[in-house]
Amino acid sequence: MTAVLPAKRPVRPGTRDVSVQIRPVVRAGLGVLLVLWILAPLLPVVLWSVAGVWRAPAVTPDTYSVNAFASLGERATLRAGLASLGLGVAVAVVATPLGFLGALAAQSLPGRRGRAVDLILLAPLAIPPFALVLGANTTLLRLHVPAFAGVVLILVVTALPYTAFMYRSALAAYENQFEDVARTLGAHPRQVIRHVRVPLLATATARGFFLAFLVGWGDYVATLLVGGGQLTTLPMLLGAAASSTGNEQLTAVLSLSVIIPPVIILAAFGIPALTRKAVA
Amino acid sequence: MNHPLAPLSRSRRVAVPVMAAAAVLVLSSCAGEPGEPGEIPTTYESFEDVLADADGQTVDLWMYGGDEQGNAYVDDVLAPAAAEEGVTLRRVPITDTADAVNRVLSERQAGRTDGSVDLVWVNGANFSTGRQAEAWRCGWTDLLPNMALTDQDDPLLQNDFGTPVDGCEAPWHKAQFTFFYNSAAITDPPTTLEGILEWARDNPGRFTYPAPPDFTGSVFLREVMLSTAGGAEEVPLDYSEETFDEHAPAALDALREVAPSLWRGGATYPRDEQALNTLFADGEVDIAMTYGPATLTDLVASEALPDTTKVLTLEEGTVGNASFLAIPANASDPAGAMVVANLALSPEQQAAKADPGTWGQFPVLDTARLDADQQSLFDDLPASPVVPSYDELSRNAHGELAADWVPALDEAWRQEVATTR
Amino acid sequence: MNHPLPGPGTGPEDHQGDTGESRSQRPGVDRDAGRERGLVYRRSVLLALPAVVPVVLVLGVSLVGASAQSLGLMPFIGPPVLSTRGWAGSAGELAKSATVSAYIAAASTVLSLVVGFAVAVYILAAPRMGRLVAGLSAATIPIPHLIGAGAMGLLLSDSGFLHRLLGMPAAFPALVGGPWWIAVISEYVWKESAFVALVVIGSMSRSMTGLCDSAATLGATAWQRIIHVVLPLSVPALAVSALIVFVYTFGAYESPWLLGPTSPEPLPVRAVRLFGSVDLDARPEAMATALVSVAASAAAILAGVGILRARRNVR
Repeated sequence: MTAVLPAKRPVRPGTRDVSVQIRPVVRAGLGVLLVLWILAPLLPVVLWSVAGVWRAPAVTPDTYSVNAFASLGERATLRAGLASLGLGVAVAVVATPLGFLGALAAQSLPGRRGRAVDLILLAPLAIPPFALVLGANTTLLRLHVPAFAGVVLILVVTALPYTAFMYRSALAAYENQFEDVARTLGAHPRQVIRHVRVPLLATATARGFFLAFLVGWGDYVATLLVGGGQLTTLPMLLGAAASSTGNEQLTAVLSLSVIIPPVIILAAFGIPALTRKAVA
Repeated sequence: MNHPLAPLSRSRRVAVPVMAAAAVLVLSSCAGEPGEPGEIPTTYESFEDVLADADGQTVDLWMYGGDEQGNAYVDDVLAPAAAEEGVTLRRVPITDTADAVNRVLSERQAGRTDGSVDLVWVNGANFSTGRQAEAWRCGWTDLLPNMALTDQDDPLLQNDFGTPVDGCEAPWHKAQFTFFYNSAAITDPPTTLEGILEWARDNPGRFTYPAPPDFTGSVFLREVMLSTAGGAEEVPLDYSEETFDEHAPAALDALREVAPSLWRGGATYPRDEQALNTLFADGEVDIAMTYGPATLTDLVASEALPDTTKVLTLEEGTVGNASFLAIPANASDPAGAMVVANLALSPEQQAAKADPGTWGQFPVLDTARLDADQQSLFDDLPASPVVPSYDELSRNAHGELAADWVPALDEAWRQEVATTR
Repeated sequence: MNHPLPGPGTGPEDHQGDTGESRSQRPGVDRDAGRERGLVYRRSVLLALPAVVPVVLVLGVSLVGASAQSLGLMPFIGPPVLSTRGWAGSAGELAKSATVSAYIAAASTVLSLVVGFAVAVYILAAPRMGRLVAGLSAATIPIPHLIGAGAMGLLLSDSGFLHRLLGMPAAFPALVGGPWWIAVISEYVWKESAFVALVVIGSMSRSMTGLCDSAATLGATAWQRIIHVVLPLSVPALAVSALIVFVYTFGAYESPWLLGPTSPEPLPVRAVRLFGSVDLDARPEAMATALVSVAASAAAILAGVGILRARRNVR
């Protein structure tokens, strides 16, 4: 099958650097700058997470301590971590298939109708999350929607533009041409699905699922207002810690505990895919 | 149906009912105004009935979660004591008490009687907002046995920012608005609020205050108004447009005049008390302020604030208040909430909470009404190395203005002071 | 998958190839094609429903609710009274807030595109270092904006990390809470450029290599290849991500609240402040402010999608 797919042709190592050659010195300099740019804001967070006392003008912490990390082992924190995980997975599990269906529909509906579906799927982007929550909260309460389901519903709507967008661009990139080629070459419809559609959609699925997961994992506003205190997630703990004096260490540690798990997921699955993509 | 346009009409047929359903859902929630039948909460005749009902209830206490000591006190001291009385106490941390009030108002707007908030740590404008919306359960504090240990005539417990308490909330702590300064930077601190503004003019960039509507910034604004009016007794507690026009302009003028000498030339202000504390800790400013002096002991001990931090008491005194525990009218577990409120008022809990090593909150009990054993609980408390006793802090203290002053002054400040630079 | 439509076909995938013949007994080729199209349409509409219905429902409920509240029709206390005070009473401030929001969003979008494109080109051009940059850049995507803003605050505030690194110069500019919203825009650019880079890389890698090779064979310099080959190929991806970045930064609350000055206020900050106000009468104004933000974002999306569609049709 791979033989019929232009995208899957064997890639010669080094092809890529031929394409846009930049002088090595400039390239290294640029690279260092970009790495600095990406890491600079995270540096003070990492330092604060192990800082006991750190007051200006000291460039590095005056004293070090790992006290705040101990709080990660507390039952309340672990439970909040599980709640965040559950929320992220629930949002992703619902929003990913819906995004796929929506993108499929938008792709196959021509003209105005396709545009309408596109617009509807993008529309939640236009509504800031707080406005969505403030407007919908009373109705959710009136309908006795359970707190968790309400939060998931709101966040699914928030996440749909991302999942739909991922599928939309994946589908648009192929525009059925590979399937047509495959079919012309006599591939059975099932083979087309397995060898053409599944691989091309797998990346979009992974990305869409991941982005939707992040919407749930990191949410604060909907959890607070719709969750009604029944749902204590990591961002809720973080918000409480950040609103106080002298809690920089705990705030930094909680920030890292929100950032690091998705980065691990990304490192395990995402980055190889990403770099492969860049090579292909 | 064979017509190519059929799908269009089909999609319209879907979209129209969906939109209509949305509108109906919303409009039906307008119809459910609070106060409809079925909302009358269970009333209790005696505390025994309350205790009987409370057994096995889970009470959701919504409180500001940014105070580690406060969190630890509730989780490690108050909650276990509540468990002994059969009530599970769950602390819901929030960043702003207004979030809890908003939640209650939204639930009542939706006609929900099984509210998710059972108890709120509240006072001032948030309490008054809830009262306007009839969102609190009232007349229940007389049931609490430990209310007898408080002084019913204490003005701080009778009125909350000018709003009559009317048994709609049970007292929890007292607090005193307090300035503090860095003694390494200031050897001869000012002793009046006017003096602080003068000091600010003489030391450009070394003073600022949180931007109202932050709670602390808002208090500072009112304190400046009382100062420019010539003292707390000059301004009537009740709000009216006439008294506002009489007293507010002088305060706003004073703040506008001092603005160029503030941190960042008054072009911006710290977002809240925490942001001001960060500036203070980093040595950007030398004077800061808080309505929760109880936290200072711990902040200095943990080195979040420099050990040269000293409390600055003013000759004319500062404003004091009490904070309370209120039960929303639609709370699911009101009996359990009352048990917790009563427990929180017990001498044991009030004394434990007053220990600067635990939380350091000033008690609301009247020592004259305590027996010798109960009194000794308080006498044995260690003194804070940073915060003077409540008696000293609250010397010449005055009460809070009515809650209506708060949004009026905050808005005027935003219009006339914040935007001028 | 439930497939309620008549006709052959076991699933959504096998349609175009054989259906023409199987239904050719009907007279009239046009009509047949019409019917075929109708089937595809109908199936597509059904496919769209599970995604479209929740969005329309939640958005509908939310917008109707917000509009009703902005017009005083859903008061917390007292009878509903229709009033435009929430809108008219503060038209001047709404306009000022909208201007600030537009400035932040426009600056953040332009800079995110520039930085994001640079990151993407770098990742494609540099073999080893590019992989590191790709990994780090992707790793910033999961960071919630609230945390990003907190981190940017620690870095850029007065007496913050950067100020300390530079030896606490007195002339350190007002980045956090300053008049140009530099910390806010930096946070947005920091997060969103990674997003732009991801979208650009995802879109252009396939066709580009060949074209660049040809360009190189024809003697084009690296810079010329970037400008004349890579950039044009990236335009669709840049346009789509620009739209998303603009709309997001226009309506986001956390960053300007944490890192912006007290005054003037962008729309979201104003809306949330008014919503949380102890003055119950401020709710209509809060909702009006939120709706202005929604309307502006919707207009941006409509304009953006219109332009994208038009471009696609031209090609």
